[in-house]
Amino acid sequence: MKPELDESKLAVEMTAIDRPVSQIDDPNLKRAFAKRLKEVAARPDVVPIEIDGRKIDVSLGGTLLGAALKNDIRLMHVCGARTLCATCRVVVESGADNLTPMRPAERFSLRWHLSISPRTRLACQARVRGPVEVESVFPLCGELPNS
Amino acid sequence: MKDLTFVDAPILRRMESESSPVSATGAPRSEESDLVLRLRLGDTDAANEFFDRYAARIRRFIAQSLGAEKSEADDLLQETFIALAEALPFFRGESSLFTFACAIAHRKVLSFVRTNARRAHLIRAAAILEPETRHDVGSHRDFDSALLQLPPEYREALVLKYVEDISVAEIARVLAISEHAVESRLARARKLLRKHLGESQ
Repeated sequence: MKPELDESKLAVEMTAIDRPVSQIDDPNLKRAFAKRLKEVAARPDVVPIEIDGRKIDVSLGGTLLGAALKNDIRLMHVCGARTLCATCRVVVESGADNLTPMRPAERFSLRWHLSISPRTRLACQARVRGPVEVESVFPLCGELPNS
Repeated sequence: MKDLTFVDAPILRRMESESSPVSATGAPRSEESDLVLRLRLGDTDAANEFFDRYAARIRRFIAQSLGAEKSEADDLLQETFIALAEALPFFRGESSLFTFACAIAHRKVLSFVRTNARRAHLIRAAAILEPETRHDVGSHRDFDSALLQLPPEYREALVLKYVEDISVAEIARVLAISEHAVESRLARARKLLRKHLGESQ
């Protein structure tokens, strides 16, 4: 029979293993990091965000929906951004803390549409406070027909 | 002189007044909050200091989470640092800098694993297919090969807990799950690791 390993012993053994940290010698990456940091810090009212894999720069404090539409990402919003339809809902892939907290109307709408989850937000209600990555739940609207 | 109104002074004051004088990274709190302040202003020296202080540990975290060395980890390190450059000016000091960086690295790893599931599977399979170089040179190798056999989310939790030595609360922030979920994930990971270690002995 195989010897049973004690859990605390396992933890001690894992901690004891010396995993050396080799210094990163990549001047290009270091330079690119410093340059991008400087660029972003120089424009504190502009936030780089990602919607459906597209990187866009948006105004700090604006809604996700407004930012998307301004950048020609046609998120569906059947009710006209009044929290009723929840067709503008998005799944937050990262940076959920960088959106304004959910208010009762948004929570009610998501619950009504059986879509309450910490990762789901209404793009018409969530305002941008920092970098965030979201994916739309509904397909984007198609091109408008030529009039 | 740059306008300082953008800097969230109350948050920085709160960071400085936190009870623990030492952060999860081992750096004194005041030193770290000073670095945060300079990073938020886009200071080049601060960027270089941040890079020198954390790049190697972030790369180790990525490599260990991914279970792969070299190119993939380097690619993800690049992506992580560009994302960090975009996120650091908006960092509100709600966690330590290293935890914040790990959270971004974690998301990059997760996205890599999701989008390259097949590739990641091949990397794991290749790692498992090297038993002769991994099993016969002592317990370190046994541990590493057992770790490589774990699913990425388990490996990540174990690496954060035992290699990076950060608290359960901070791990919860990195992985964006509750502390309770961290505890149970760690317990499952340890159980599975124990099973793999038992098999390799």
